[in-house]
Amino acid sequence: MIWHDEQRGDGIVALPVGRVDESTAQDFTIGLETGVDRAAGTGSKKLVVDMAGLDYMSSRGLRSLTLAKRKADGLGVSILLAAPNGVMREILAISRYDKIFAVSDSVDAAL
Amino acid sequence: MLVRFWGTRGSLAVAQKADAVRRKLARALVAAGGRSFDDEAAAEAFIDGELDFATAGTYGGATTCIEIETGGAQGAFIVCDLGSGLREFGIDAFRRMAGGHPRIFHVFMSHLHWDHIMGFPFFGPAFDPGSQIVIHSGHADAEQALRRQQEEISFPVPFDWLRAKIEFRMLVPGESYQIGDVDVEIMAQHHSHVSYGYRFTDADGKVAVFSTDSEHKIEKMDGEANVASFFRDADLVICDTMYSLADSVSMKEDWGHSSNIVAIDLCHVAKAKRLALFHHEPTYSDEDLQRLHAESIRYEELTREESPLEVLCAYDGLEITV
Repeated sequence: MIWHDEQRGDGIVALPVGRVDESTAQDFTIGLETGVDRAAGTGSKKLVVDMAGLDYMSSRGLRSLTLAKRKADGLGVSILLAAPNGVMREILAISRYDKIFAVSDSVDAAL
Repeated sequence: MLVRFWGTRGSLAVAQKADAVRRKLARALVAAGGRSFDDEAAAEAFIDGELDFATAGTYGGATTCIEIETGGAQGAFIVCDLGSGLREFGIDAFRRMAGGHPRIFHVFMSHLHWDHIMGFPFFGPAFDPGSQIVIHSGHADAEQALRRQQEEISFPVPFDWLRAKIEFRMLVPGESYQIGDVDVEIMAQHHSHVSYGYRFTDADGKVAVFSTDSEHKIEKMDGEANVASFFRDADLVICDTMYSLADSVSMKEDWGHSSNIVAIDLCHVAKAKRLALFHHEPTYSDEDLQRLHAESIRYEELTREESPLEVLCAYDGLEITV
């Protein structure tokens, strides 16, 4: 899993690429926490995770999202998930994570 | 090794109501499409071949009770937990004892919450002076829990009136025990008042793991390597899958239960062969559980990296040959 994030407009867009599983969840967690910190300094206080580059995510990655959300809530930051591929969309539905995170079809729609 | 599920529901026993049975009948009749069947065998062939499980059957509503049959030389009964499913197990045990089965029961307690002990006052063999019941637990207060639920304020028959020879033995994590015809290991789990998982290995090397009422805390994900190690190469893992992952980390966090998603991930890491979804949420209908099963199979397919994990959904009456 490769993590990259950037400021776009008034928010932060994260662009993880690859698979998030037991072996890469730690890097994903660190990336998310860094992204939340950066988003806290923006006007919109939004961290949009562009999921288009993610092949799939196990429960470790999903729970990393929850840990990041807890930190984000404390800083007034919103985490939004954008552009999941078909597999990721299924995983979000099966885990019911689409009930606890906002999921958008595109990054632009989330920003 | 044969694993027989006598009770699979979590927290509280439930039963199908008339309207649920009526819906099943209506769906079956629609599926039959006006066909007629010459006899019950023909009707059953239609049921087996064309109806889904939620229409043709039910996952049941008795609380936790599982039997493991090894076919070993000693032949003692091996039972996990004393939930309401124990009542029917006791009736069947009498049938088998009448046929010569030894009257020895080794019981392994996950923990002592009500849904896991409520069947014991209705366990016929406990009233049989010829039966011996050994209750193994990681808890020091197992005897207190069983005696307390039979005090007069809760039940009319006191524990001391039971006629079987009843013993309590404490097991310790990290030790390995030969009990009856199985090797037994025990693992502490996160749950109110602690729960314990059991790993049973029979003489043929077949392994069944019983891990219910176990929450895998989000702050301790690194510790899950120990759980995967306990599940390692198991032929069958029976796992608490009561909630969705989202519920288990939000509204129902600290309620002491796990999800289908985490169970599948742990079994993948452990290279287990089969997973039985277990300790079903009492508010779930048969349709809900069938959907949970289908979604779990799909998640396993999506996240599989090596050999496939067969995902079963336990129901009262299910028998699995391991």
